[in-house]
Amino acid sequence: MRDLKEYRIATSPAEAVALLRAGPGKGRFIAGGTDMFLGRAACDFVVDINQAGLAGIERTDQGDVLIGAATPLQLCHRSEELGAFAGGELARMAGQCGNRPVRSTATIGGNLCNALPSADLAPVLLVLDAVCFVMDEESQESLPLADFFVGPRLTVLEGRLLTGLILPAEAASRHCHAIKLTRTAEDISLVQAAVGLDVAEGIVTTARIALGSVAPKPLRCHLAEDQLAGLKVADITQDLLADVALIAAGESDPIDDHRASAEYRQEMARVLTRRLLCRALADTGTEACNEGDEGGAA
Amino acid sequence: MIIELMLNWRDMTLDVDPGANLLQALRDVGCFSVKTGCESGDCGSCTVLLNGEPVNACVVAAGRVQGMAVTTLEGLLDDPLMQELQTALVDSGAVQCGYCSPGMLISLYARMKEEGTPPDEHEIRHALTGNLCRCTGYVKPVEAALDVAGRLGGRS
Repeated sequence: MRDLKEYRIATSPAEAVALLRAGPGKGRFIAGGTDMFLGRAACDFVVDINQAGLAGIERTDQGDVLIGAATPLQLCHRSEELGAFAGGELARMAGQCGNRPVRSTATIGGNLCNALPSADLAPVLLVLDAVCFVMDEESQESLPLADFFVGPRLTVLEGRLLTGLILPAEAASRHCHAIKLTRTAEDISLVQAAVGLDVAEGIVTTARIALGSVAPKPLRCHLAEDQLAGLKVADITQDLLADVALIAAGESDPIDDHRASAEYRQEMARVLTRRLLCRALADTGTEACNEGDEGGAA
Repeated sequence: MIIELMLNWRDMTLDVDPGANLLQALRDVGCFSVKTGCESGDCGSCTVLLNGEPVNACVVAAGRVQGMAVTTLEGLLDDPLMQELQTALVDSGAVQCGYCSPGMLISLYARMKEEGTPPDEHEIRHALTGNLCRCTGYVKPVEAALDVAGRLGGRS
């Protein structure tokens, strides 16, 4: 960030938005900063929110889990609250971002605000119905994470501050599984997938499927989800899951780059979605399919 | 900008460039155990402790450490655990060129200091995910760390 003119430190969220608004020139919020040091700052000043009281995880009496935007990934990984939420899948995925020292400083909010199509935690947060809290000097707003992303490196923020996330209590016992496919453990992912199923009295009451790195922004696969919602678990067959995975992959719109071809990404989106659905169903005691069997629509 | 921090157990005031990273700031005050490597958070040769947590100094803003405690290998030279790790690395032949050694030592030190039982091989390898070595490799450092962990376990 050699072109940076000023580094401001905020001690509260309100101060952070005021410091950003104050100018002069273009400012950006900085939390972990691990990504900002990889290139030019592309701004005149930054506002550090690490000391603004936005780091931490707590469970409310209603069973919701609140995660501050400036919570380091390592803290998410080790959090008891997240370890107990929806099978601990978010905590597990947080432990797979970057490497150990990067996780000490990189934050969950930073991961989302960078808004890379490959944001590691986006798919699992999407299937857990995460809600974002956003503020500026005049207003506060909460919105579903799915509406937070606009495009590659673009969010709805436009100078507003992401203060945190809430994982709703309704998702606390969701059968949730996520995976990322990478060339090496530390690399940016080629494809990510996450699924979440709520099952009550043998019926799928909620179905969530999300993909990462296969579209301009992290993607909810609504068409595929609709195939599952309302079904009796007992009626779900291997062929049906294969079809659902195919539909999900069809909702993606990947690009070719030096990491993988679009064709490969789309095919992996299908394979991973099917496997994760198998795992989620296995959690419910259903043996709809054999995870390793790539039959059906393959 | 002026930042105040505790560097290696001493209160210090540093005048740093607003866009500087912690790596630059530390080397400017003579902490040469903190090596410049990839400068992108991959190689771990600049690993230091920030309030006890291992971080890559290259991707941490100097301004970020305002009011915090930064510890480099220089600050741990008299620490018995660090001395034990250093000796174990030397004894097992885990040090060839030595460029990655300070970062590896910091990562291992941080892991050994964590609460709970001393780390097993898997946990040691996990603790070293952020440290690249291009000459010795990882077998010898892991052996050295297991040796130390074994002795720590024997003591508790």
